[in-house]
Amino acid sequence: MNRFFNIESWKETAATLGRNKTRTALTAFGIFWGTAMLSLLLGGAEGLRGILQRQFAGFSTNMAAIFPQETTVSYRGFNKGSEWTLYERDLDRLRAQAPDAIEYMTGLVMTSGPLSYRNKSRTGTCVGARADYFAMQKPIVESGRLFNESDYAQGRKVAVIGSKLAAQLFGGEDPVGKYINAAGMYVRVIGVVGQRSDISIGGRMDENVTMPATTLRRGMGLGDRAWFAIFTLRPGHRLDELKPEIKRIVCANHPISPDDESAIGYMDMASEFEKVENLFLALSLLAMFVGGGTLMAGVIGVGNIMWIIVKERTQEIGIRRAIGARPSDIIAQIMLEGMVLTMTAGLAGVTFATVILGLVDYATYDAATGHAGFVLPLWSGTGILATFAVLGTTAGIIPSIKAMRIRPIEAINDK
Amino acid sequence: MRLKGIMLELKDINKTYQGAVPLHVLRDVSLTIERGELVSIMGASGSGKSTLLNILGILDSYDSGEYRLDGTLVKNLTENEAADLRNRKIGFVFQSFNLISYKDALENVALPLFYQGVPRKRRNMLAMEQLEKMGLADRAHHLPGELSGGQKQRVAIARALITRPALILADEPTGALDSRTSKEVMELLRRLNSEEGMTTVIVTHDPGVGAQTNRIIRIADGHIVSK
Repeated sequence: MNRFFNIESWKETAATLGRNKTRTALTAFGIFWGTAMLSLLLGGAEGLRGILQRQFAGFSTNMAAIFPQETTVSYRGFNKGSEWTLYERDLDRLRAQAPDAIEYMTGLVMTSGPLSYRNKSRTGTCVGARADYFAMQKPIVESGRLFNESDYAQGRKVAVIGSKLAAQLFGGEDPVGKYINAAGMYVRVIGVVGQRSDISIGGRMDENVTMPATTLRRGMGLGDRAWFAIFTLRPGHRLDELKPEIKRIVCANHPISPDDESAIGYMDMASEFEKVENLFLALSLLAMFVGGGTLMAGVIGVGNIMWIIVKERTQEIGIRRAIGARPSDIIAQIMLEGMVLTMTAGLAGVTFATVILGLVDYATYDAATGHAGFVLPLWSGTGILATFAVLGTTAGIIPSIKAMRIRPIEAINDK
Repeated sequence: MRLKGIMLELKDINKTYQGAVPLHVLRDVSLTIERGELVSIMGASGSGKSTLLNILGILDSYDSGEYRLDGTLVKNLTENEAADLRNRKIGFVFQSFNLISYKDALENVALPLFYQGVPRKRRNMLAMEQLEKMGLADRAHHLPGELSGGQKQRVAIARALITRPALILADEPTGALDSRTSKEVMELLRRLNSEEGMTTVIVTHDPGVGAQTNRIIRIADGHIVSK
């Protein structure tokens, strides 16, 4: 006889759970809350991670930077405290020495000054870079194109301008193809870009004028200089392993002592982001821990209630056994009750959490970068329900087995 | 070997409850009840009659001896075998009715058939037939709480009869009833015995009940003192 498909089993389950509505409701609420909390924590952690990652959209999180600082050791007749200059040729050597580690790299030069188109003028920043710059901080190309390596190599007088700057200088006019005055020279606008990420190195690209570094250097008479360099590392490589190579190349070409530990400044975004990643790992673990605890409390609640239900029904179990119920009939019935209770309340909890997460996801929607991802992954939801179903069902086993140890007649006379 | 005419037979049954002080409650109990008999087992409390009832009802095991019910040797059964045998061979009637409070009369009567796997429609039809026999057709959908003591006991008897058992085992069936309804219930049990030949064993300490049976078996200190 298959109890699961027998309407009598279900009617009996409904009847016994319905007999003490308050108690059933309170137990169900415990499970409801447990599953809802666990789902909200897991989905919430997911969403927070999404929100944070949204801040970095288009920004390479494995980025590093090097920049010159004052020397701290006297060397070859130069006093300590001398300044030195980073050159593009230093970067070329570095790229040639470590092609496996370095993915993208550019030296940056920047200047501030008036940027004008016809009679409109604003003060802003001009950034000179290689085309690699756009691979590391991906802009949104709103019209036209970005400059490329060929533009860089030939020092073409072209520039991409930020969308905010474009609105200020051009109003509704299409800037592409027009000439603007930037850093004292006329350059042709070839593209308009927006910015996704909330962080950037070298100023906000949607407010700047960005042109090939060769062009800006020529205009400013900077020769081969770079204020600083940014680069990204290929997967599996770290800035620390590259530092000796950087130091060797820089020291060989500049009057810097090999013992000088702080003449070369470093910034390692990867390690900063690792800290953030660790934070989220910790958050997920916390969610699992707190949620798991809530879950356990819920299951213990079910076990407790099944215990009371079995106790209350000792006499009834005795009667049923006297008229021919097998132990398995009784245990299956009690387990079915535990399962119905946990599954109903658990499903409600997961549904509730899904609705809340959906609302939060809707509220945090951002037109440029999309959804933050406040969602409970299907497998997490299924996992939570399955765990709960198994634990809730088995929670009834121990009390029912104990009930089987009581002889039917004693059970019947139990008052 | 099926013994014609004999419904149940106990041979040298011994039962000891193990405990701090082992309690030897049944000593070499031998007993034969013929098919169609109406018998009462009488004894004071502590005489061993409850233990005897449990063994007859396959609710408890015994240490030594042999118990045959309707030709079947009842010994060393698993829980499931015992449950099936109880279900098919024995109809219980208890002192305190022991109906399931949240099931109506019809569902209570049909319950033993549920455990046999009888389909719902057939189960309810057979239960209705039994209730009609008991004159309770109009109470079929009442909960036990809505029935009088006499009505409850008649529902319990209907439940005992629905599997067409070989034996009705009644444990103080009138213990919780007033004298008038006691009389009605005893008349019902007597009529079932005389008209349908239902073998009935009533365990009681009430001499008035014992007097209405055809044979009284007395038990004292674990011994049968008169058959």
